[in-house]
Parts: sequence; C-alpha cells; structure tokens
Amino acid sequence: MSPLLTVNNVKLTIENKPILKGVNLVVRKGEIHAILGPNGAGKSTLASLIMGINDLKEPTEGEIIFKGKILNGLEIYERARLGLTLAWQDPARFEGITVEEYLKISGKNNPELDVVECLELVGLDCSYLNRFVDETLSGGERKRVELASILAMRPELAILDEPDSGIDFVSMEDIANMIKTMRERGTTVLMITHREEIAEVADRATLMCDGKVVQTGSPKEVGEKFKTMCVKCEVRNPELVGGE
Amino acid sequence: MEVKKDLLSLIGKRFTQIGLPKELFEKNRFNLLVDRNKVVVRYPAPGVRSEVVETPTGVKTKVYIEPGTKLEEPVVLCFGAAEATEVQTTEGEIVVGEGADVKFQVYGAMAEGIKLKHKNKLKVRVEKGARFEFLDLHYNGEETFVELETETEAYVAENAYFRSVFKQTRGRAGKVRIVLSASVDKKGVAVFETKMIGKKDDEIYVEDVIHLNGEESRGISKSRIIAVDETKATFVGETYGNAPRCRGHIDCSEVIRGKDVVVKAVPVVVVNNETAKVTHEAAIGSIDKKQLETLMARGLSEDEAVDVIVQGMLR
Repeated sequence: MSPLLTVNNVKLTIENKPILKGVNLVVRKGEIHAILGPNGAGKSTLASLIMGINDLKEPTEGEIIFKGKILNGLEIYERARLGLTLAWQDPARFEGITVEEYLKISGKNNPELDVVECLELVGLDCSYLNRFVDETLSGGERKRVELASILAMRPELAILDEPDSGIDFVSMEDIANMIKTMRERGTTVLMITHREEIAEVADRATLMCDGKVVQTGSPKEVGEKFKTMCVKCEVRNPELVGGE
Repeated sequence: MEVKKDLLSLIGKRFTQIGLPKELFEKNRFNLLVDRNKVVVRYPAPGVRSEVVETPTGVKTKVYIEPGTKLEEPVVLCFGAAEATEVQTTEGEIVVGEGADVKFQVYGAMAEGIKLKHKNKLKVRVEKGARFEFLDLHYNGEETFVELETETEAYVAENAYFRSVFKQTRGRAGKVRIVLSASVDKKGVAVFETKMIGKKDDEIYVEDVIHLNGEESRGISKSRIIAVDETKATFVGETYGNAPRCRGHIDCSEVIRGKDVVVKAVPVVVVNNETAKVTHEAAIGSIDKKQLETLMARGLSEDEAVDVIVQGMLR
C-alpha cells in the first residue's frame, strides 16, 4: 500500500517547550492505523498539526505530506478539500442545527450521501434526524453523530481522536465495526486511542511517548509494549523514549 | 373584504425580494396585511374577532380571541411598507380568551431601500388557561434603514402561557429599541426570545422585564444577538421573583464579529420571596473556535462556517 500521509521528522516547540521531538509516521492508503500512548505523549497535538487546528498550522521543523502535497501552512478547509478530516474527542455542539443538516453539511460533496444509513451505521435511528446537535444530545450520542458525519463526508483520510471516549463499553464493538465500515468505503483511518480493544481493529499501530514515536508495528506488539511499559509508568520512562 | 389583487402582487414582489416566503403571497395566506396605513388583505380566522382602523400614519387593531378557540394553523399578519413613507405607527390590543390556544405569525417587512420610523405599541392579555404564541418576524433589505421602537406589555393569567419571539435575521436591523414586559400570575408562564443580527452601524437595544407575581409562575428571557461591523447592541433582562416558588431564568448569548462592535448584556435579577429562584447566564464573545474549526474540517470556508453557526443561533 502506498503512503497517503507522511509525517517527516516533525518537531514542534511551544513557548520554548518541545512538544513533538522529531515524529516520523507513515499512514498507508486503505489502512487503519492506531496511535497509542499515555497522556501527554503528543498524540492529539500531532493530530491537530495534521489537520491545522488549534492554531497549529505548521510544525517548527519537518513536513506533513498528504497525497504528495505539503500541508504546512494550509488552512483547515484547504486540507479538508484535499480529502482530510478530523473527528474531535469532545465534539462541538451547535445551537439550532439539526443532525440531518449537520450530516448534509459534512456530506455536501458526497454524491451517494444517505443520511439515514450514516446514522444506522453508528447505532442511531432516523428519529435523530430532527434532533439538534446541541446539549440535548448525550455525550455518547454526540460522539456517534460525529462519527456519522465522517461517514457522510467520506474523506480519503479520517483522523479519529479517541473515537471510543464517551461511548459505553457495551457499544465498543459498534464503534470498532463502524471504523471497519469507514475503511470498506474507501476511507483510510488514523485513530488515536488509549484502549487496546479499539486498537485491535487496526492493521498497524504506533506507540508514542514524550513527543516521540517509540515503535510502529502490529497492534498486538505495540499494544503489548503499551500495556507493559506505559500503563505502569507514572513518570515518563526515559529508557522507553531513548534516554532523553 | 375584497383583496386588491394587483396591489397584493406588487407588494408580494417587493417583500419576497427581501426574503418573505413566496408561498404567503401565492396562496394569499394573510389574515391581515397592512401596507403603510392601508389595509390590503383582511380575512378573519375562525374564533378571532378584530377591529382594524386606518390612521393617517398606520393602523389601530383590536383582536379578541374567543374562549376555547383552538387553531392548528397560525393567524398570519403582516405590517410593512412596500413603498417609501416617513413614519408608520401601529397600535394593537390582543385579548386571548380563557382556554384558547392560538399562534400569531406576524411579519414586519420594510422593502429594499426604504428609510422610515416605525412605532409599535401592543397590549396583550392572555386569560386563564390560554396559550398564545406571538412570532414577530422582521425582514428588512440590506439597504433599508428602519428606526424601530416597539413596546409590548403583557398580562399572563393563571395557568396561561405566553411566548413572544422577535426575530430579525436578514437585512439590516437599523436603529432598534424593543421593550417587552410581562406580569405573570399563578402558575402562568412567560417566554421572551429575541434573535437579531446587527450590521454596519446598526444600534440594537432590547429590554425584557418579567414580573413573576403569581405563585409558581415561570419566566424565561432569552436573547441571541449577532453584532457585526460597528454594531452597538445592548440587552437588558430583568426578572423579578415576587411570589412563592416562582422561577425565572435569563439567558443571553451575544456574538461579536468585528473590531468596532460594542455589545453589552445587563441581567438584573431581583427576588422578593425566600422560596423564589431566578438565575441568569450571559456570554459575549466571538464565534466559538471549535465550532468554526469543526465545520472548516468538513470543507467549509471560514465565512461559510460563520454563516452556518450564526443562522443556527438565530433560528
């Protein structure tokens, strides 16, 4: 599989503090790629840099390349129009916008858009179409609507920032299936997660710690390393990240 | 009365140009349509008695809704100016009889390019157990400039419900002063909602005053003002909790977009009874960044995303 996204020696320093310390990552077209790591490892910062959100439009050093095009400096919507999107860990609420409208906004360039199907694939029925994407939705419902909006958009690469947070454990299988469905429909998935059971859906996984990539490999190998070395590590483990 | 078809068609052309739904004119959905000081359409709704008197500058109306009247369709009224005029004044009295349940959809339409002063005074009385919704929908052109002064005074009787919505989401607001007040009796409910967008040097002043005088009465005052360019906007929400176990809430959320915008929100909460409770929340700020970034991550430009967010808030 050819690379769809390449993160090339990306460094990010904010207020003299190094956050990312030379991250290298390749996401291949058609794969589900999980990024695992403890809190503060730099996973969400990397996702923000790829999408250009939170005022992170370009790294201090290095390049992010999507479909052969350098993303550094591009606006969020320019990246989205190239076929890239992101689902937030804690998605925004919108007063006065219905679920149906939200899905149609997301899927405006998808000629095969079927909003009911998108909802069904995330375990919601058509009664949600007229609900507002506001505080009246529970955290789990809002999260599902966000994932449905990615299905509606059908991007080439979807970054899912903790797709499992706010979802009850019983529904974890639904989420895993939904991620597989995304891939079946042509979307490459880069997901950030703390949970090994979600990472198991992936074809490959990358472990990040202290702003660096520690290992890339099968979800099983990476998950094992995460479980044995990171979960118990309350202070960042200097040996794990190469002695820094 | 006989509908003046040519005049209606001319007015329809000018008003649909500024955003009024075409269907209103195509199907002549109006129960009352007034252009400046002339009654163009008058078609009574069942259970609704009215007197309409033309004055040199506008109209005076008295509406009486018979007790027990329940209408599924809203009563549609329109007060506007399709052609130039300096002043328009409207005065009205509405009495909603006991147990009635009706909705008024009132269009205020000032055609493109018109500059005028519009003064409106309205008294509303919602009798025991009745339910009355008054949706005041304003349409102005981008080149229209209206100085609007409107005062509404309402009495909400025992177990009655009154909701007043003032909405202006298209064109320029102009110079606007809206004052709404309600006195709410036992177990009655008053809801005031204002949704407006100000552009260029528009000036918006909104004052909602709710007196919760009856035991277990309820009041909600909600404003959403989007202030753009050099708009100056002030929202004053006053709620008085005067009776046992009454509950009131003021919710104002104003969005600013432009360096020279000035927005002020003044919630006033007064409680005169130890079992009463009145709360407020006020927020003034720019468009929520996460909302903006979410929509941009779906491919919308910043301006398109702002438009979607603003129209949602003003809905």
